[in-house]
Amino acid sequence: MELNWSTFILEVINFLVLVWVLKRFFYRPVMQVIAQRRAEIEKTMTDARALEEKAEHLREQYEGRISAWREERQQARDALSRELETERARRLDALKQELGQAREKLRATEENRQAVATRAMESAALEQGARFATHLLEQAAGPELESRLIDLFTTQLSQLPPEKLESIHRQQANATPAVTVLSAYPLNEQTQEHLTDHLARISGSDKPPEFRVDPDLVAGIRVTLGAWTLAANVQDELKGFTEFHSDV
Amino acid sequence: MADQSLTIAPVFSLGPLDITSTVVTSWVITLALAVCGWLLSRRLKLDPGPLQTAAEGVVLTIERAVAEVAPQHARQLLPFVGSLWIFLVIANLAGLVPGFHSPTRDLSATAALALLVFLSTHWFGIRVRGFRGYLKHYLSPSPILLPFNLISEITRTVALAIRLFGNMMSLEMAALLILVVAGFLAPVPILMLHIVEALVQAYIFGMLALIYVAGGIQSQH
Repeated sequence: MELNWSTFILEVINFLVLVWVLKRFFYRPVMQVIAQRRAEIEKTMTDARALEEKAEHLREQYEGRISAWREERQQARDALSRELETERARRLDALKQELGQAREKLRATEENRQAVATRAMESAALEQGARFATHLLEQAAGPELESRLIDLFTTQLSQLPPEKLESIHRQQANATPAVTVLSAYPLNEQTQEHLTDHLARISGSDKPPEFRVDPDLVAGIRVTLGAWTLAANVQDELKGFTEFHSDV
Repeated sequence: MADQSLTIAPVFSLGPLDITSTVVTSWVITLALAVCGWLLSRRLKLDPGPLQTAAEGVVLTIERAVAEVAPQHARQLLPFVGSLWIFLVIANLAGLVPGFHSPTRDLSATAALALLVFLSTHWFGIRVRGFRGYLKHYLSPSPILLPFNLISEITRTVALAIRLFGNMMSLEMAALLILVVAGFLAPVPILMLHIVEALVQAYIFGMLALIYVAGGIQSQH
């Protein structure tokens, strides 16, 4: 257990050499590598943080764009909805207008068709009525009817308004026309005189009328006084009836 | 047996110096560490392999242990304290290699290491605090404690040397006695104990050295 000074000194030197060697060849290189790696890691972390910040910035930018795009899309959608609503209302109005016009046109067409049909029916009814009346009057006509028609004629002559009588007188004053009396049946003397008196009073002429027979009148008389024709007979009445139907 | 255990005979002489097996073993350890360190330093990469990872783990572990005691001077104390730990671990375990004896079973070696710790305490203390500032810590907390502080400096250094020497010497002697008495397989548990004891003693010596040096640096705080 004694202390060997040679060993003591050599151990001191040996350990100092060991410390120098390890410091030179072990600690310093290893620490440098560790420091380099830490620097690399720090640099990588810094780059990663920068990238993260950039990514965050890009994300915020992207989210902002997304938000703006959504807002823009919503605005476009609202504008489109408004346009669609406006267009729909416009087209609906146009359609309603077209429908109204079509309905009006259809109604007019229907009215026209009904009017035509009504006129056709009326025409047919009047024609049938005229034929029936003609047929009936042809069957029922006779001297008695003619006598009553002559009485009706003379009554109407006596009831002519003064202005009309004045007009007839003015026309007869310029030229004395021939007075012709057509009857369906031959008139007796009394009837001829009676008519002559009445006609003379109307025409203001003494010239006796010419009495002729025309069976086509069926019954009654027709008096031609210049440009005037006065009628009270079945044929003219039926003709008037038919003309009335044609006018309608 | 007593000669083998307690007496370290010179292997050869180099002038006035007797070269003992302790010195030879220490030289072998130093040379091996130097070669390993040199080879490792030539192959250091940022992407480490298994050996480099282990080496970096050792360095970082030592640095962390030093930093826990002296956080502001970890880099400064790392070479000395780290070398102590590495050398003592290998030196303590060297006794397990057939044909070698642990250098720390020699009081001359442990005394040399304790002396270096003693000198390092003053060296780092004066470097950090200055000569006057360092000497003042012997007067704190009271000048009355100056003799005790001085005695403490000596006794703790002696205790450091004797503790390591006594433990390692007794460990090797116990292993040798058991080997002689109990035969071939019985010393195996003792060898396991040897490993644990070697690591524990290396840790204790290095940690005490670190505490002494850090105390010299930081006693003003």
